[in-house]
Amino acid sequence: MPAVKIKRASSSVDMTAMTDVAFLLLTFFILTAQFRSQDAAAIETPSSISGIKVPDSDIMTIGLGRDGKVYFGIDNQQHRLEMLDNIAAAKGITFSPKEKNEFSLMSNFGMPINQLKSYLNLPKEQQAKVKQPGIPTDSTGAAPTNELKDWVFNARKANNGLRIALKGDNLAKFPEFKNVLATLQAQNINKFNLITGTEAPPAGWKAD
Amino acid sequence: MAEINTGGGGGKHDGGKVRSKKASTRVDMTPMVDLGFLLITFFILATTLSKPSSMTLNVPDKTKTEETEPIKASNVMTIFLGKDNKAHYIFGKAANEDPEVKTVSYGYDFRQAIQENARKVAADKFVVVIKPTKLSTYKNMVDVLDEMAITKTKRYALVDQLTPDEKKMLKDKVKIDV
Repeated sequence: MPAVKIKRASSSVDMTAMTDVAFLLLTFFILTAQFRSQDAAAIETPSSISGIKVPDSDIMTIGLGRDGKVYFGIDNQQHRLEMLDNIAAAKGITFSPKEKNEFSLMSNFGMPINQLKSYLNLPKEQQAKVKQPGIPTDSTGAAPTNELKDWVFNARKANNGLRIALKGDNLAKFPEFKNVLATLQAQNINKFNLITGTEAPPAGWKAD
Repeated sequence: MAEINTGGGGGKHDGGKVRSKKASTRVDMTPMVDLGFLLITFFILATTLSKPSSMTLNVPDKTKTEETEPIKASNVMTIFLGKDNKAHYIFGKAANEDPEVKTVSYGYDFRQAIQENARKVAADKFVVVIKPTKLSTYKNMVDVLDEMAITKTKRYALVDQLTPDEKKMLKDKVKIDV
């Protein structure tokens, strides 16, 4: 009696289904996701139960890093250029077209205006390495050294419909937040958003 | 891939017609899967999915001074945000009346303390005054504002100046120097 031979299964697996799944997921990700912008500093925001989403457009973001440095950015490239033109005219600085173009690509930045020009002339790889010192602020909100107020003013001049979002780091100290608040209040801006992560409200909690 | 092409082979050697070899209809999908997952990985890493939420904060106009009715100290819970993620609160008394200072950490304790005090006064009279000190962090402030939303406290104020009485009280009773 001959030995019973086990029929060997083909080692080739049908990958069609897997391809289907992979590309389905791919399509999903391409359609839903938006690209992460290159930020001047990593900011870890606290979370809240608030369910209001941050608007997509017409938004001015003031970042507050963990070391108290202030970063600033607006969303629209065109308005960014206008803002730069406005502030350059006010401060008596001129920017070359290349510098302007470079600036329009920065989603946010944190440096005094007199350092901005040399920063914009650096090659891309070196820009990433530069430690940005943050935008100067102060506790009164209206002193001549407070550059944040100039940026806010000129950004609003470029786009009047800007909403203001404050993005603070978990570990940022309160006095620094107070300086930002004072700057805004000095310009009579009394309504703004605090950007937070999302957390689930406690059980049984209902929004009014 | 280790696929053995069986059957359908050409060239029969026992005479007859020579047939052209029929190609297998099966396409090897492996590289396609590789590519698909590579792209997925890229998109997961390069994009953000969850949009951050935001809480609105309205602060009173500094340029205008509005006359409001003074609030009774007996309805007010004053919260001082101290260091090391601790909050201190007094309830029902002003700082110069030797109130009892209680210390809570953020989270459940805090919420309970607010709810407890809120029950002691009429619902529309309860006022929370939040006083962040310079030792507190931004997170502490957001947590407290969030707590206001959770406990549905309608009347609260964010005050960034401490009176000399309050400074003295915090120094004497909870040993923080603000």
